[in-house]
Amino acid sequence: MSVEVSIPADLWEGDSDAVITTWFVNDGTSVKAKQLLVEVMTEKIQHEIHSPGNGKITILKQVDEVVGKGDCIARVS
Amino acid sequence: MKPSVEQKLWMYEHMFVSRYYEETIEKIYLEGKSPVFNMAKGPIPGEMHLSNGQEPCAVGVCAHLHDYDVITATHRPHHQAIAKGVDLKKMTAEIFGKKTGLSGGRGGHMHIFDPDVSFSCSGIVGQGLGPAVGAALSRKLQNKPGVAISYIGEGAANQGAFHEALNLASVWKLPVIFIVEDNAWGISVSKETATSVPQNAMRAQGYGMPGVFVPGNDPVAIFEAAGEAIERARNGEGPTLLDLETYRLAGHFMGDAEGYRPEGEKEGLNKKDPILLFEKELLANKELTHEQNEQIKIAARARVDEAVEFARNSDYAPAEDAMDCVFV
Amino acid sequence: MAIKERKLTIARAMAEATAQEMRNDETVFVMGEDVGPLGGVFGNTRGLVDEFGPDRVRDTPISETAFMGAAVGAASDGMRPIVELMFVDFFGVCFDAIYNNMAKNAYFSGGNVKVPVVLMTSTGGGYSDGGQHSQCVYGTFAHLPGMKVVVPSNAYDAKGMMIAAIRDDNPVIFMYHKALQGMGWLGTEPGATVHVPEEEYVVEFGKAKTVREGSDVTIVSLGVGVHHSLKAAKQLEEKGISAEVVDLRTLVPLDRDHIFESVKKTGRLVVVDEDYQSFGVTGEIITSVVERDVSILKAPPKRIAYPDIPIPFSPVMEQWALPNPTKIVEACLKFNI
Repeated sequence: MSVEVSIPADLWEGDSDAVITTWFVNDGTSVKAKQLLVEVMTEKIQHEIHSPGNGKITILKQVDEVVGKGDCIARVS
Repeated sequence: MKPSVEQKLWMYEHMFVSRYYEETIEKIYLEGKSPVFNMAKGPIPGEMHLSNGQEPCAVGVCAHLHDYDVITATHRPHHQAIAKGVDLKKMTAEIFGKKTGLSGGRGGHMHIFDPDVSFSCSGIVGQGLGPAVGAALSRKLQNKPGVAISYIGEGAANQGAFHEALNLASVWKLPVIFIVEDNAWGISVSKETATSVPQNAMRAQGYGMPGVFVPGNDPVAIFEAAGEAIERARNGEGPTLLDLETYRLAGHFMGDAEGYRPEGEKEGLNKKDPILLFEKELLANKELTHEQNEQIKIAARARVDEAVEFARNSDYAPAEDAMDCVFV
Repeated sequence: MAIKERKLTIARAMAEATAQEMRNDETVFVMGEDVGPLGGVFGNTRGLVDEFGPDRVRDTPISETAFMGAAVGAASDGMRPIVELMFVDFFGVCFDAIYNNMAKNAYFSGGNVKVPVVLMTSTGGGYSDGGQHSQCVYGTFAHLPGMKVVVPSNAYDAKGMMIAAIRDDNPVIFMYHKALQGMGWLGTEPGATVHVPEEEYVVEFGKAKTVREGSDVTIVSLGVGVHHSLKAAKQLEEKGISAEVVDLRTLVPLDRDHIFESVKKTGRLVVVDEDYQSFGVTGEIITSVVERDVSILKAPPKRIAYPDIPIPFSPVMEQWALPNPTKIVEACLKFNI
């Protein structure tokens, strides 16, 4: 079973894009639910995204990549 | 000492130039910094501290000044530089880091030096206080005309340099005016949590000089208070502390998310935009016609646009020029 | 027991170290400008005021002389202050409290008074912040007796060194480079964001680390220079040159033995430092080797440091002046290995 890690629609106001600034885990490591996974920055503010569940993470978008709301940036399975 | 209509229009015009300048610089600053806000990128890299909203503090004072009167300013200097008559093309080129800039690109926006109009600024809080005292001392010793103005923020009034400079200026009875631009915020720290008295003007008594608090961010009120202080100084009556209530409509620096501002504060401030209020007043008093207003705006924009064009089209100095100007 | 693998930025590592020590020891408190709700301009006090409250995590007015002096006084009275100097360039307004007071009281009191202050401060440029906001001044602090000086190049070292600094009874100057912090609005060297254990641990002061083994040349550096050196080493490998990279980690105390042993092995020394060249770190490293045994050197040592000029704003000038991997590679090639 694989869960998407996506940019939540309510993470920031407005429709602007964000950029991934830091991944706090390496591709393929085990992660736990609620573990801090990644930081994205939109305009000037950094936002945290935590893991939706336990499992092994597959990172789909890298640091410096631009992402938008709803984009899937990783999978946890 | 009330401003004449001519002086009012001078102030209004310079406020407009100043604001349009900051809005233009803001747009250019953001070039290359989207969607990733990386401070190092774009035609204007580094930090940027804009003066939107603080224009009255510059024009109300500079309306009384000659080229030979000295200003030491801070990391938020554009409005004061414009009001003082700093060469706008060379200043803009300096902000872009170009060879045609005032310092050949070595200084940038926090280090604007224009000796022709006796203007300088620096990036260290409180650093300009001592030099303003020194400039005033120099004029007194040489019996040359001129007063010195030291602009600081309300946060800087909590620096040791403030205490020493005011004390020294008072003891030596120097022609210097200390001007606090109180915009209520030192990055994320509010004045209330950092300053032991409600207004810095109250501290003047501790230094044996008059302290004047000017509320309302109104250029005319500032003009009047500054006029008195400057006249005192020119007459050899010594220093004054002017404490000007103002607001910054933008963040501390570009990139400041401003999460520390209470909700609604910014919207409230935008309603009190000093340029809009002054414009309204001048039109209502018939001191300004709609036609004149349009001319002023067109001319202001043209002046700023020309300066920006000059900066964009200028070259950078060759890298090795970095080694020059360490010593003269 | 599964060890959770997770990475931290240096900013978060510093904040985590501070939080862990503040939980252990009530006498630890933090003060500085914008360290409270803002979490520090460079993110190193994030979350602290939420957990420990405004009494223990204090925003100060812009009064460095006063709060540096206050740190000395509080430390002398049994507390363990962590005080932030927002940009190291601001040391000028409060240096007396630091070099003349904080650093000397233990000595002047014959060891009877301890001053366990951690002074954390941001260093470094390369992003056009101008000459008063981009300096490193490692040499200035390292030169003056009585204070330990540490410069982490990555988050693992940063956490361990922060905990060590807080536990140290001596004043420790913790100098973090802005390009390694992990602030999204300022480009970050990705090599600084590494795995950091969740538990408390200490990185001992006075121990340099060989971060890349090699046999032809020793490149010694600190902070962001370590990352430049590693990149240069990769490029040199392609040219058939094996470079050893040593991360100093601490300047005071300086691990002269480690440096010497490395140069004894390779016979060639390059020192890389973003601080001003003359009268500083690079001179000290080179002299430490030469005065011990010059015969181990196959060639005169080289140094790549910032020229002796105020840091210019223009990006063309600033980037030209800074140390970078290309300059390191070129220097090593001149050895004709």
